[in-house]
Amino acid sequence: MNESPPTESSQDLTESGASGKQVKPVPIEEPGTEQNFRVGVGARLYFLLFGAVVLMGGATVLAYVSFNETLRHEIRLSEYSMPNLINSVDVARKSAIVVNGAFRLVSASSKEEHTAVVDTTAREIASLENTILELEARSAFGEQTRLIRSHLEELGKHLDVIEQSSARRLDIAQALNVFIDELGETTRRVERLLVQAIDDQAFYLVSGLRQLDDKVRPINKRASEDELTAYRNLITVNQSANLAVLLLDEVLVLADRQFLTPLEERFQSAVRNFMHAYAKLPDSMRDDLLEENLTRLDEIGKGPEGVIKLRQEALFRLEQEQDTLSKARTTSESLVSEVNNLVAQINEEAIQSSAASRTAAQTGIFLLILLNVSGTVGAFLLGSLFVRRYLVRRLVGLASAMREMARGDLEVPVQVEGHDIAKPVQGSANYMTRNIRYLIWNDEVTDMARALEVFRRYAHEVQRLNLVEKLAKELDAKNENLEQALENLKAAQEQVIAEQKLASLGQLTAGVAHEIKNPLNFVSNFANVSIELADEVEDLMKQQDNLDIEEIKSILGELRTSLGKIKEHGKRADDIVRSMLEHSRSKEGEWRKTNLNALLKQYVDLSYHALRAEDNSFNAEMKEDLDPNMEEIIVVPQDICRVFLNLVTNAFQAMYEKQKKGNGDYLPELTVSSRQLEDHVEFCIRDNGPGIPDEVRDKIFEPFVTTKEPGKGTGLGLSLTTDILVRHGGSVHVDTEVGHYTEMRVSLPLEPPAEALSSTENGTE
Amino acid sequence: MTMRMTLLLVVVLVMPGMPARAESDQQTIVFGQSAALTGPARELGIGMRLGLLAAFSEVNREGGVHDHRLRLESLDDRYEPEAAIANTRALIEQHKVFALIGAVGTPTSKSAQPVATEAGVPYIAPFTGAEFLRDAKKRPNVMNVRASYYQETEEMVVRLHEDLGIDRISIFYQNDSFGQAGLNGLRRAVNRHGLSLIEEVYYTRNTEAVKIALLDLRRANAEAVVIVGAYKPAATMIRWARRLNFNPYFINISFIGSAALAKALGPDGTGVYVTQVVPFPLDTTLPIVAQYQKALEEIDGNNKPSFVSLEGYLAGRIAIEGLRLAGPTATREGFLQALIQAGDIDLGGFHLRYGVNDNQGSDRVYLTRINKRGRFQSVEKISAP
Repeated sequence: MNESPPTESSQDLTESGASGKQVKPVPIEEPGTEQNFRVGVGARLYFLLFGAVVLMGGATVLAYVSFNETLRHEIRLSEYSMPNLINSVDVARKSAIVVNGAFRLVSASSKEEHTAVVDTTAREIASLENTILELEARSAFGEQTRLIRSHLEELGKHLDVIEQSSARRLDIAQALNVFIDELGETTRRVERLLVQAIDDQAFYLVSGLRQLDDKVRPINKRASEDELTAYRNLITVNQSANLAVLLLDEVLVLADRQFLTPLEERFQSAVRNFMHAYAKLPDSMRDDLLEENLTRLDEIGKGPEGVIKLRQEALFRLEQEQDTLSKARTTSESLVSEVNNLVAQINEEAIQSSAASRTAAQTGIFLLILLNVSGTVGAFLLGSLFVRRYLVRRLVGLASAMREMARGDLEVPVQVEGHDIAKPVQGSANYMTRNIRYLIWNDEVTDMARALEVFRRYAHEVQRLNLVEKLAKELDAKNENLEQALENLKAAQEQVIAEQKLASLGQLTAGVAHEIKNPLNFVSNFANVSIELADEVEDLMKQQDNLDIEEIKSILGELRTSLGKIKEHGKRADDIVRSMLEHSRSKEGEWRKTNLNALLKQYVDLSYHALRAEDNSFNAEMKEDLDPNMEEIIVVPQDICRVFLNLVTNAFQAMYEKQKKGNGDYLPELTVSSRQLEDHVEFCIRDNGPGIPDEVRDKIFEPFVTTKEPGKGTGLGLSLTTDILVRHGGSVHVDTEVGHYTEMRVSLPLEPPAEALSSTENGTE
Repeated sequence: MTMRMTLLLVVVLVMPGMPARAESDQQTIVFGQSAALTGPARELGIGMRLGLLAAFSEVNREGGVHDHRLRLESLDDRYEPEAAIANTRALIEQHKVFALIGAVGTPTSKSAQPVATEAGVPYIAPFTGAEFLRDAKKRPNVMNVRASYYQETEEMVVRLHEDLGIDRISIFYQNDSFGQAGLNGLRRAVNRHGLSLIEEVYYTRNTEAVKIALLDLRRANAEAVVIVGAYKPAATMIRWARRLNFNPYFINISFIGSAALAKALGPDGTGVYVTQVVPFPLDTTLPIVAQYQKALEEIDGNNKPSFVSLEGYLAGRIAIEGLRLAGPTATREGFLQALIQAGDIDLGGFHLRYGVNDNQGSDRVYLTRINKRGRFQSVEKISAP
């Protein structure tokens, strides 16, 4: 940086010195050649870049500081607050499980469920203690954790009580279930045996028979007091046993412990009753199985491990468990509230950590945004003020000036902001302001602008001299090209017209042949007659003795008539050929007075015979309505005959096509008519052919449009027709209806156009 | 038949089912039976099983039904309703049976049939004539083979009242749903003839405490006693009646287990009547009976024809017929529908006909009497001794 400014300034000096010398030939005002100090473009750019680097460095330092601060808070949050939070939530969750354990123990319905609950609860308590230890190790919640631990201990004690009691209660329930099954079996056996015994005894009392093969006991024997007492005792055993079973059923479903005592009393008396009655039965009615089952019934009911005692204990334990449970509930409420406190505290701490972290991050972000904005604004100002306004705009100005010059426009002087700046003279008006302006604008761009201006003036002078000569040459060349093109165009046009003429000639050949054939036939026939007549004269002349002069005269008269005919028909053929020659003469036609009716008739015939020569099956009816009073008018006959030929041929061909496609009913009919009106004549050629569809109708007068098969028409016919008629100051109109007719109406003025008059005059001269 | 012999028989009878078991499940259709195979009603369960096995073995020997082998899975319910429910559940859920068949008894069916109905499993040919099983609207899965108890009791009353002009008809019934079904049927039947029962006595199930009831019957001076009960107490009652010289007409309902009854009665059985719902099992003029005897012999030559095993055989045959009609991809519903729409089904002289709201195949009731030699004979009418 330190070395640059002197180097640059020295360069500036040499360059501006050089430009100063070169400009000399052209007199230009030369401001600012004697400056001794300037701040160059390079120096200015380096200065700005340096500013940008400083700004970026500041941003980096700021970002580093603020991220560091955020990180510090984040680390505290993740290493300290978050684990504490997780642990505290864990404590809450596990406490809930432990508290819930007590309820689940009381309500457990099977031994397996009970064991599972005990295991879970024990595991959760152990894990809970670990978590609390972890919490204590990491933080200063000593008071809370101590309280939680003491509540937990208390809850553990309640849980132990409930656990043991409920385990025993479940054992009892299991034992009772076994009793229920046994009671059912015992009851059924007792019932079956007693029913049988009662049935036997009653039957005996009535019938005196115990076994099938016994003899019948007399009534005084069988209805003795002993037998009746035995019967009564059997009934008593049955009734009391049933009652005992019913009472036990009631014990099994009773929920209130207090009511067990009266039930036990009644069961004992029932047992006493059936035992007493059974004891009094005669030996023959006692049955080991019955006795065994009755004793078992007694044991099931009131044995030391019997239904009543077990049920009593179960109900008692249940009550105690309920008590413990309510104590446990109180403890657990305290526990939960302490845990909630802990969670709240830790949560608060975490929120603080997180808030600090967020503040640091936000500050950092704010500062960075600030730097960014100022950087952006700086860059914008830099771009806009220095680069755009000061540098780019002037460079663009220079560039556009150069482009103008390159394009050859050397008229506009080179003007870039500052190009006219001059070092102010000490003490002049506004010296300070002008000096500052000089400092700002006096740089390499100004130098370039001045140099360019010098160059422009040189070039402008040179250009002015060269320009005129060059323009003249270019014009000549272009003119030549244009003439050549015009010539080519004319040749092509003539070629096209010649071809069209040739084509119509070809069309007519067959018609002409037919026309000529007729007179030739006459010539030939009359020639034969003449030869015969000559022979006759010769024969007459041989008879020298008897020369019949009269006869010879008469024959010679006939011969003359015959030769006259030959001459007449020969002339007719000659006329036809001449008119053909006239038609095909490719020279520019001459204007002549012409009988247009005759011309039209001639070409109708020619065209008709030409078509018939192609296909002699074609027949058409022809109607003529020609105005006999029509004047001869001045036209170019071989052009007009092409007009008639085109129109008539089109009409015949259209009808011919229609006839070929249609059924036999169709009869082609061509009507030609003419009228002389006030200032023009009119010819109508109407056919009853297929007509012209609308979409084609608008285009038929354009060149190269044809409705005929490829090869049959050039598409130029109607186009030339139009051209010819326009040249004659006339016109052609089409009137058509598809499927019915086409009518072409040609109109020609009575007064020929100016061209015709001059040409006629020329022709006459 | 002693217990040991029975066990031996069961083992032997299971054998024909073994090959089918070895094949893939797709080719085997399993039928499940919950019946008394032990206990006082075991003769009935074993007999039904025997008949079913005879029918299944017969069709399996011929290549099965639509290439499917049939297999019977029998579980013992000891004629106890609770066991019948457990068995039915096990058959449906574990053994995945296609249908239940040949259940024995009214109280057991009354408990087990709702299980099958809820599961949508066909419940075919239970060995009971209880009326509730004939309610096809509420029990669309039940297909009965035999005539109902109503029809049996009706036949009894017709024979007693119309053939012999007897009016003093009484009933001796087992105090459970089976007895109740018979009682209801008989009451209805006598009412239809303008009569009423002169005495209704019962005994406790699974006991032989019948003698007080007998005294009541004697006191009522019954001319005919319709017995709706098990063979043992019935036999005890009849023998004591003979001892007391009390000799009304004794007519048992088909459920009694005819062979066991005749055996238990011994010489006292002479003139005791039993109504039957299947043809006489020795009457080989009926093609179905001849087929049955042959099928029975095929599985074990020691088996004597009996009413119970013939009913089992008919149950098996109607199941086979249903499968055959339903086609090779029979669903349970398709099977039931096939039987309902089959019209008259002629199983070799034994005709069945099901229909919409008619799930009882046969309406025939046959009358049999124990003769002096302790054998059953087929009779048309009840006659004076």
